Amino acid sequence: MEKSLLKKEALQKLIDGVREKGGRFVAPSILARQVVYREVDCADQMVHDYIVPRNSIKEFLFPQTEPILRFRLMREGVEVEDVRVEPERTVFFGVRPCDAASCGAVRKVFTWDYIDQFYTRREDSSVMMTIACTSSDDECFCTTVGVSPEGKEGADLLLKETVDGDYLVEAVTDRGRAFVEEFKDVFTEPDGAELKAVATPEPIEGVNIDNIIGFLKDRSHYNSEIWAELARKCVGCGACTFTCPTCRCFDMVDEGTYIEGERRKNWDSCQFDSFTLHASGHNPRDTQFKRWRNRFMCKFNFYPVKFSARGCVGCGRCIRVCPVRLDITEVMIEVSEAARDV
Amino acid sequence: MSNIYMPYLATIEDMFEEAPGVKTLNLVFKDPKVRESFEFKTGQFGLYSVFGYGESTFCIASPETRKGYIQCTFRRVGRVTTALSELSVGDTIGFRGPYGNWFPVEEWKGKNILFIAGGIGLPPVRSVIWTCLDRREDYGDVTMVYGARTVDDLVYKEELRHWEDRDDLTLIKTVDPGGEKEGWDGEVGFVPTVLEEAGPGAENTVCVICGPPVMIKFSLSVLERLGFRDDDVYTTLENKMKCGVGKCGRCNVGDVYICKEGPVYTAAQIKKMYNDF
Ligand SMILES: Cc1cc2nc3c(=O)[nH]c(=O)nc-3n(C[C@H](O)[C@H](O)[C@H](O)COP(=O)(O)OP(=O)(O)OC[C@H]3O[C@@H](n4cnc5c(N)ncnc54)[C@H](O)[C@@H]3O)c2cc1C
Ligand code: SF4
Ligand code: SF4
Ligand code: SF4
Ligand code: FES
Repeated sequence: MEKSLLKKEALQKLIDGVREKGGRFVAPSILARQVVYREVDCADQMVHDYIVPRNSIKEFLFPQTEPILRFRLMREGVEVEDVRVEPERTVFFGVRPCDAASCGAVRKVFTWDYIDQFYTRREDSSVMMTIACTSSDDECFCTTVGVSPEGKEGADLLLKETVDGDYLVEAVTDRGRAFVEEFKDVFTEPDGAELKAVATPEPIEGVNIDNIIGFLKDRSHYNSEIWAELARKCVGCGACTFTCPTCRCFDMVDEGTYIEGERRKNWDSCQFDSFTLHASGHNPRDTQFKRWRNRFMCKFNFYPVKFSARGCVGCGRCIRVCPVRLDITEVMIEVSEAARDV
Repeated sequence: MSNIYMPYLATIEDMFEEAPGVKTLNLVFKDPKVRESFEFKTGQFGLYSVFGYGESTFCIASPETRKGYIQCTFRRVGRVTTALSELSVGDTIGFRGPYGNWFPVEEWKGKNILFIAGGIGLPPVRSVIWTCLDRREDYGDVTMVYGARTVDDLVYKEELRHWEDRDDLTLIKTVDPGGEKEGWDGEVGFVPTVLEEAGPGAENTVCVICGPPVMIKFSLSVLERLGFRDDDVYTTLENKMKCGVGKCGRCNVGDVYICKEGPVYTAAQIKKMYNDF
């Protein structure tokens, strides 16, 4: 059965089923008056009328902080204990296509030669139930970066809302098919109900991604004065990178007492001065525009060119959270223009 | 190993004070299997940890030709290096590695080698020096230029004496003007100046250079005048590192992740990088 129906009334049964088997069910929900992806145990906690949740799903696959080993310091020496993640199955319900598409990028970095199993094991035990977008806001720009609001990239199941508030479910991967099979008492035959219209943001005029990539690849443009100009407003708060679904940079720190503790991976950001500060006091990216330039390069050069992955999925979060409203799409327009001029 | 961030445990078997604030550790892996199987190539680095303080990046300063132990030489500058320098013989530290690329010493067979180092830049070079000296017959003339700020700041003082005594290599040692003291028998002058005066030939010669950025910058122009091609001049890039395995995102120079694709580069390769130093 490639297509099936998930009735709104059946959601509780699905949540219960997943939880009974030891899994967690993550869905858009209200927390502190904002829509966020979070674990829910009850269908009433879910919201269905949302655009893009405030957080991305990355925090469930790559937590803000997580132990990577534990140590005990004793008179006889040090005892170090490995930490192995044994993640429960996580079902992500209501993931936006942009968020689902971001996982491929994060995975590329975490599996580049050395495999970070803290990430891969979590992603491998997740089920991505993407819901096509039926509304968008001014910050959404997925289509500008080649992501579709009804795209299947990264999805195990693609859901489309019917006018009755149910979901037409299409299995995209074997994992998705197996999931529908496993919960076959929840999924039913499609009833032919009409689907809600997909909301497709207009591609932003004046942006040409190929030109942007071409401009960045040319090393002579790295010293262009446009960078200092474009990033002038940035205060280096890092909010853009923390909310960005493809940002995956981290710090490693030891925490604990003199006798025991753990080494942790904590989210970090290339927007911070301390990120690249050498112990000598030298800092290769010593001014904010250089750090901002690194972020833009990361999104539109390192990810696409080096990792053949999406650096930006057009979710618009970085625009929504930026305290000075430094809009990445405005920079994309400027750089596209600069690329045309050369 | 499934957890890529899990270090091996190593015992500090010996510890030497090289210069003020600079120490060398002899490390032996606790696990006999690791001790047996551990191999690395000259130029590679590791992450050394003091549990409770964190990890620090140092090159492996011993040569790839010596098995059973590794050495690192570090300067006390911050949190981890201070904690590390306060440990004693017998204490346990963590080591992850070896990481990164290496000096292509195999390709240099039959060539002359010129080593240039400044200050705490000697440890990575020293690994290559001993690797080549342990296979002395594979290489032609070996010349070294090593300088430090003052006589006291020279590291590996005993080895410098040993190298001076050997007749199969030439060592030119120098200290910055004002850094000399009673009994100093070396040169007085900055490394680039001393290098220019010595004027080693570029014919069939590769150069390995490590040290402070200013020293490298001026030495590179001297090397160019001496006829060295950028393809034959090797150095290491040092950026702040945390993971060492291409994940944490901070060691990049433009699109190049130094921890995975470096730290060893030719001058020609560096000239092609984004200006992100
Ligand atoms: C590939 C590679 C090889 C290296 N090899 C060697 C080597 O062989 N020997 C060697 O001595 N070093 C080497 N280094 C440099 C070494 O990694 C750093 O000096 C060391 O990690 C920093 O020490 P720390 O952990 O004590 O500093 P921390 O205290 O952990 O530093 C944390 C951060 O605090 C800041 N900080 C700390 N102290 C100072 C300070 N004094 N001035 C300004 N900011 C400071 C910096 O932002 C620093 O990065 C190498 C680096 C690389 C990348
Ligand atoms: S850069 Fe901004 S718009 Fe692009 S994926 Fe990240 S948060 Fe979303
Ligand atoms: S933009 Fe910055 S924080 Fe985000 S992934 Fe790239 S380097 Fe890391
Ligand atoms: S959110 Fe805005 S101000 Fe903060 S670092 Fe990002 S661009 Fe700069
Ligand atoms: S040190 Fe983490 S990416 Fe290079």
